[in-house]
Amino acid sequence: MKLNLKKFGTILTSRQLGKEALLAFQPNLREISDKEELEVDFKGIISLSPSWADEFLRPLFIKYKNRLILKNTNNLSVKETLSFLEKIGGFEFNKNS
Amino acid sequence: MNKLLTIGEAANSLGYSIDTLRRWDKSGRFSAVRQTKTGYRHYPVSAIETFSKNLDKFRIAKHWAKSKRGFEPLPCYFCSDSFVFQSRLLRLERDLMEHEETFDFSSLLLAIIGEIGNNSFDHNLGNWPDIAGIFFSYDLDKKKIVLADRGQGILKTLRKVRPGLNDNKKALRVAFTEIISGRSPEHRGNGLKFVKKIITNSKMKLFFQTGDAKIHLKNKPEFKVDIDKNPIIGCLAKIEF
Repeated sequence: MKLNLKKFGTILTSRQLGKEALLAFQPNLREISDKEELEVDFKGIISLSPSWADEFLRPLFIKYKNRLILKNTNNLSVKETLSFLEKIGGFEFNKNS
Repeated sequence: MNKLLTIGEAANSLGYSIDTLRRWDKSGRFSAVRQTKTGYRHYPVSAIETFSKNLDKFRIAKHWAKSKRGFEPLPCYFCSDSFVFQSRLLRLERDLMEHEETFDFSSLLLAIIGEIGNNSFDHNLGNWPDIAGIFFSYDLDKKKIVLADRGQGILKTLRKVRPGLNDNKKALRVAFTEIISGRSPEHRGNGLKFVKKIITNSKMKLFFQTGDAKIHLKNKPEFKVDIDKNPIIGCLAKIEF
């Protein structure tokens, strides 16, 4: 399954909005089969910060581990946010930039 | 409708004394309108907003954040909820592009402004002591961003996950330097550690105050918390670039 993160906005910095985004996306997650990958594409994102990502990406990582693939992560705020979450969480996202 | 403020309200919204506004009126620097019946000085909100553009927004924000009695800031600086703040962040993003700031720099600047501003909403939801919302202003010519809130402050919100904390100085240090592990019911995040990481690796400078504790951060590893003799309610931040 592919998800263009831009569908949730281009400036993703609010914890509250990150939480709402995950809730809105939950019904789609039921369609993912056991071995299917979830590809999250950051193309078009202008700014990402840890509060939004902590509410949206961290739960997806906990559920899908390496089946969660992050694409087009070259935006500097995306890079910094992912590396920050990896550091405080002690894990590493599967990135395909 | 263009609301009229009394001279006291106008002075408060700009962070100056009534005497200063009287002086500005006499000298023609900032003229009041007089209602014929009473002769008292009044000021249209739109005129105050226009006049404020040339004043120091940090001074205006600090006055608002330290005032004993809460009041709403001028509408052009006030984000009453996180949706208003989000829409002003989008406007800032467009202005940064017009100002020809690089995309990489803009993305980082927006991320740290978003963290600081949204922290105010996330940690005070339903618990604002008086005025719900934040002060947010930016001046891209002067390269300054100012954010403030009249929330509970870092000490009170951090105590929910670190009950031993007993002063603003220690709370500020924990918020900026210690990773808070695990998911707390309060969802205190690690956003200010992210802000510190970005600031210390960039050309940006950050002033941050909560209560009577303040820090100045720049691209150096040192982290020194000082005491400010003018304590504020909530948090106050200035980013310079």
